[in-house]
Amino acid sequence: MPPRKRVFSRRKVCRLCTDKELVMDYKDVKTLRNFVTERGKIIPKRIYGTCASHQRQVTEAIKRARHLALLPYTGPTQY
Amino acid sequence: MRHYETTYILRPNLGEDQFTEIIERTNAIVTDDDGSIIDIDRWGIKTLAYEIKKETQGYYVNINYAAHGTTVAEIERIFRIDDRLLRYLTIKLADAIDEAGIDTIKEQIATQAAEAESAEKTETEGTEETAAKETDSKKTAADTTEKSEKTSAETVEAEATEDKAVEDTAVEDTAADKTEESEKQS
Repeated sequence: MPPRKRVFSRRKVCRLCTDKELVMDYKDVKTLRNFVTERGKIIPKRIYGTCASHQRQVTEAIKRARHLALLPYTGPTQY
Repeated sequence: MRHYETTYILRPNLGEDQFTEIIERTNAIVTDDDGSIIDIDRWGIKTLAYEIKKETQGYYVNINYAAHGTTVAEIERIFRIDDRLLRYLTIKLADAIDEAGIDTIKEQIATQAAEAESAEKTETEGTEETAAKETDSKKTAADTTEKSEKTSAETVEAEATEDKAVEDTAVEDTAADKTEESEKQS
């Protein structure tokens, strides 16, 4: 009997779950920059390991910030 | 009454008088419709992330208030007519708010402002916070580099490497499996 295939990878922990004080807010652009790539794309949770509920909050906040031109839709995040 | 928050962007070349005029007009709409303003925050002129109506900068104003839904509709109607405004965003913070709630929120904002001031005064605290954040981001970067030796820590955020990183983790997973198997055999 072949041994059961087990996947070993380091468990990614949601940064927002570990840091309870960190609340996502569209006004807090400094924090939101951590969750987008250099080109302004939202980093997927499979890369960052944020849990589903927090990823939703992050996405919502980033989209609001984009609407208010605090973050770009595309292009460099530093300007 | 509901608890709302509206942020709007004005054209930067209007001058202080017109900024005040628009802000006061907006506040008047809220108070006339038996709502109440909880907090006004002028962020001032900021660079926009992208051009809006040929403007590269904008004057940001953020108001926190309690009002009825019809008030919000009225404010937004006026905002849409006025072309001195570049953008606005209204967010509902709570479904219901009463006088007591308004007072507690006012207190919260006051204490937050006081905290922010004290943090600015004591620079050491501020640097500590930023340092903590930096180490945090480094940690995550380190996590990814462990998994993918090819991708350097700096390119973690570059989108081109995202898929690669996933592939690498897959490779590493199988490698881990093999070592596991060999351990079992021995």
